[in-house]
Amino acid sequence: MGEKLRIWTAVKHGLDVNLTRADRTTGLVRVESAPRKTSDFDKNAVEEAVRVRERLGGVVTAISVGGPAAREALREAIAIGADEAILVTGDRWAEWDTRAVARLLAAATRKLGGFDLFLLGEGSTDHFAGLVGPRLAGELRCAGIAYARRLTAAAEGVVVEKDLEKEVEVVRAAYPVVVSVGQEINTPRIPTFMANLKASKKEVRVLGPPDLDVPAEALAPVVVVERVAVPEIPRKQQTIAGTTPDEIAARLRDALRGEGVLP
Amino acid sequence: MSDERLLCVSEEPEVAVALVRLARSLTGPGTGRVVAVVLPGSAPDAAERLAAAGADEVRPVDGPALTDPHVVADLLAEIVAAVSPSVLLVGSTKRGREAAGHLAGVLDLPATTGVTGLRLDADGIRVDREALSGNAVAVERIVRRPAIVAMMPGFSAPPAAPSPSPGRVRQPPRATAPLTERTELRPKAGGQLEIEKADRIVTIGRGLRKKEDLPIVEALARALGAEVGCTRPLAAEAGWLTDDHWIGLTGHRVHPALYVAVGVSGAVQHLVGMRSSRVVVAINKDPNAPIFAQADYRITGDLYQIVPALTKALGG
Ligand SMILES: Cc1cc2nc3c(=O)[nH]c(=O)nc-3n(C[C@H](O)[C@H](O)[C@H](O)COP(=O)(O)OP(=O)(O)OC[C@H]3O[C@@H](n4cnc5c(N)ncnc54)[C@H](O)[C@@H]3O)c2cc1C
Ligand SMILES: Nc1ncnc2c1ncn2[C@@H]1O[C@H](COP(=O)(O)O)[C@@H](O)[C@H]1O
Repeated sequence: MGEKLRIWTAVKHGLDVNLTRADRTTGLVRVESAPRKTSDFDKNAVEEAVRVRERLGGVVTAISVGGPAAREALREAIAIGADEAILVTGDRWAEWDTRAVARLLAAATRKLGGFDLFLLGEGSTDHFAGLVGPRLAGELRCAGIAYARRLTAAAEGVVVEKDLEKEVEVVRAAYPVVVSVGQEINTPRIPTFMANLKASKKEVRVLGPPDLDVPAEALAPVVVVERVAVPEIPRKQQTIAGTTPDEIAARLRDALRGEGVLP
Repeated sequence: MSDERLLCVSEEPEVAVALVRLARSLTGPGTGRVVAVVLPGSAPDAAERLAAAGADEVRPVDGPALTDPHVVADLLAEIVAAVSPSVLLVGSTKRGREAAGHLAGVLDLPATTGVTGLRLDADGIRVDREALSGNAVAVERIVRRPAIVAMMPGFSAPPAAPSPSPGRVRQPPRATAPLTERTELRPKAGGQLEIEKADRIVTIGRGLRKKEDLPIVEALARALGAEVGCTRPLAAEAGWLTDDHWIGLTGHRVHPALYVAVGVSGAVQHLVGMRSSRVVVAINKDPNAPIFAQADYRITGDLYQIVPALTKALGG
């Protein structure tokens, strides 16, 4: 690192999966008009970035790739404690896939002087691919650590506890390193009223692909979403009621016997 | 059926076999080529198992076990260059997704994860994948080859179709310097339970007031011959149960014959984990709990009354 730790954090303004609704007849989700919000784990990433800065000093840069509304995700990042905000946007942002996002993030770090620690969510709430962090590390050919549950940062690098399906792996890396975090790493602070107010006044730096020397062809989608549908799984939706718990229990037992699912 | 080359690799032996079976069914017998990588540290019979599943060629990699994604990506990049597959199939496990992303970044390849269905169409590779935190299924078309496709463990793989004379190519290790260093690997607490294989599950959510009340639910599970599952808050936040009980988007996907959800609200991130259960029972005191929309049998009531009564009715 230089004299100041350069900490970056990526925040996505994605679809609000709790508010997306499917068309009753077709089952299709109208993705374009669905409400958006800041991706959940990205707040953990910002919180972790701010905690590292609080301990070691440095500057936290929050960056989002998306449309104009993504300013809201950046405002939230500032309210949590990020120092500066960058919005990468362009006419065709809606078709940018995971590859395009990772390329733009990589280009922004190159253009703006690099980083020591780059924190992302391990999966975005809507897409949940788990790809942008590892892609970014691969693209920059630097160390990457995903599924971080605990992070200890020092002047020269990080030690991360990585949460695998059946194991916990402790991994060490020198800067620069890209770390993708899960929800368990911390509890993001709830910004105070004043912090929210200040954040809404903070200037956001807006950059387009040309500013980052990324040609339009490099962003052409290679993975195209053709349709998004909610699978309809028919359920009996039968209410089991009764005057006493015992009566209800006996009725449920009989129903489950009828289904042939009791041992 | 098509004359394509497919490359398969997973650190999970069962997933690796399933990937080969899928790849074989996509190329058809006798056409195309299915190549499977055998990662260092695999079981001695791993290569035979992959050949028996349908691989035309197995590539055992020499050397020590690989963990650093940068090293894994560098090795896979070399194998991709040698085999020139149209698709690299990996498992959508944590290590699988991480390696897929890293390699995709290194080689600038299209990649997608959480895939449950794959078709090689003339106008591109089509995948079905979980979308919107598992709330929906998206159909994606990958317009460029080669592509990296990470298949969800447990996807339904077609039967094995062994190749008549599988080849074997030794893959020497690469001298890539790792960028991360593993200092410790420890098994997680719990971890013995394989809840994805359970036939009956009783899942408890935040409707449980305290850890000391767990026996109420465990007694029901015993009476049903079921395993105990839980929602994220009980494992990740309260720590009342270990992670191997955790069901949902960031936990395990289960498909039992019977799923009893007790004091579970039914958030989308939970539902994705239990959606393929055959019969679903929900017990919740809130008549508007979203879990009820996913239930075959709905009981509105206090779990502290219903669950003991049910245990008794089942002879527990
Ligand atoms: C990216 C992401 C990933 C996630 N991954 C997962 C995951 O893998 N798995 C998961 O489960 N969650 C996951 N979550 C969390 C999820 O959104 C919900 O917060 C969680 O599932 C809620 O758990 P719950 O149903 O136990 O608790 P709550 O939502 O608090 O529900 C408790 C329920 O208990 C009922 N209740 C209370 N008292 C009683 C009583 N005495 N008798 C009967 N009923 C009672 C209440 O009516 C309520 O419906 C994830 C969230 C995010 C953002
Ligand atoms: N459009 C975006 N802008 C900024 N960060 C993003 C964007 N998309 C994904 N990310 C980051 O990458 C992480 C993983 O996303 P994904 O690969 O979609 O699961 C997210 O948690 C974010 O931190």
